[in-house]
This record gives sequence, structure tokens and C-alpha cells, in this order.
Amino acid sequence: MAVASVAHAGIVGGHHEEPDQLYVETRELRVQGFLLFMVSDLVLFSSFIFAYLYLRNTGQGWPPPGAPKLDLALAAINSVILFGSGATMHFALENWKHENFMKFGSWIVTTIVLGALFLSGQIVEYAKLGVGWGTSGIFGTSFFTLTGMHGFHVFCGIIYLTILLLQALHGKYTFKKYTGLTLGTLYWHFVDVIWVVLFSIFYLY
Amino acid sequence: MNEILAHAERGMAVFFGIVVLVVAVVALRNDWKTKGLENQVFKLMLGLLALGAFLAILAAVNILAGKGVEI
Repeated sequence: MAVASVAHAGIVGGHHEEPDQLYVETRELRVQGFLLFMVSDLVLFSSFIFAYLYLRNTGQGWPPPGAPKLDLALAAINSVILFGSGATMHFALENWKHENFMKFGSWIVTTIVLGALFLSGQIVEYAKLGVGWGTSGIFGTSFFTLTGMHGFHVFCGIIYLTILLLQALHGKYTFKKYTGLTLGTLYWHFVDVIWVVLFSIFYLY
Repeated sequence: MNEILAHAERGMAVFFGIVVLVVAVVALRNDWKTKGLENQVFKLMLGLLALGAFLAILAAVNILAGKGVEI
């Protein structure tokens, strides 16, 4: 509570209230740079997704013999958890824009918890499938590579959001200067959107 | 026991899926007139988030299910 009060005083008071000229001039560039990073990440995911689709459509039928069955109910609840975290992150940013520091903090913590829950769900699913690297053929290789890579992005996102929360607590952002929080929200939405694609191709297609 | 768990998972997926879908659509509607590069990306992502929630609901009620999944 004391830390939050200090952070709040730093955010709304003092000389940081008005954005400086350098911030205004470079803001768009930083946003564009971050979007370029996301596009490069999208290319990485796309190449693996198309490799999976190619293998799937050129083989001797799908799923390959001996491939484990995926748990649709678990995947559905896990997906909703991740999509829900996108909504809570949206609330966090909106509350920051409306200068409500406490609600921002609550929503970003909720997002982090939901992200961790999603990762736990993925671990449960991996354990249930009972197959691992090098032993599961084309299906397992595609599935574990793509969902594992996505899971790693979620893990990085959790660390990223935690750092953003700590920075916000220490007064790094003000209610006028919060590009870092906007970019963090964009990253989290990106991770959600990638899961929409992965969920569709592995569980619904 | 596993069946009960699967039913509970499906029920929760439908309930929270509807919540997420409504939240995403309302947020998209509120942000619809915002301008700026990042806001355009936000709108696209909120739309896809709503789509994802909708797909998850359909999957939870077994309307959509791919090959090789356990229903």
C-alpha cells in the first residue's frame, strides 16, 4: 500500500506530468519499432504453422497412426483462460488511461495469474499426452514445437508484464507517458491472437 | 470422474467464453472511433480475441472439433 502511494504520488505529481519534446517526437517511432518486432515474430510462427499444414496435407491421412488424442475440453478452458487474460490486460491499460492506479495494478496482476494458469494447463496437457521430443513423429514434433514456442512467448510475457508492473510501481510511467504499458498490452494481445490460430489448427481443423 | 471433470471444464469454458466474447465486443465498440497506429492494431486484435472466444465456445459444446481430438 505504501509503495503504491509513493508510486501514485510520482505518477500524478512532480515534473513528470507533461510529456517532454523528445518523448512526443520519438513515441511513434517506438511504437512502429515494436510493431516491426511483432511482425518478425509473426513470420517465425507463420513458417512453423505452414510447415505443419504442409506436413498434415501431404501425409497418409491425419492424424498419423499412433498419434495421441488431444483433449478438446481442456484446450477449450485453457484457451478461454488465455483470451480472458487479454481482456484483463485491456482493462489494465484502460484503467491507467483513466488514472486509476489501484485498478490498473489489480488487472495486470490478474493477467499475470491467468497467464500462469494457462501455462499450467499446457503442462497438464503435455503430461496427459505422454509423448516427448523425438518419440512422437510428425504430429508430436509439430505440436510440441508450435505450442512450446507459444508457451515460451507466454512465459516471456509474464516476465515482461511483471517488469512493467514493477516499473509502474516505481513511477517510471505517468498518466501522460505510458508507451511501455501500451506496448506490453500489444504484446499480450499478440500472444492471444497467435493462440487463436494454434487452437484452430490443432483442435478444430 | 474424468467425465465429470470434462463436463465441468466445458461448462466453465462456455461461461467464461461468453464473458470474454462480450467484453471483447464491447471494448471493440468503445475503441471503434480511436485513431493512431497502435489503436488500429488493438482493434484488429480485439476482433480476433472475440473470434477466439467464439471458437472456444463452439469447441466446448462440440459443434467444432478437429480430427484427432478426444470429444
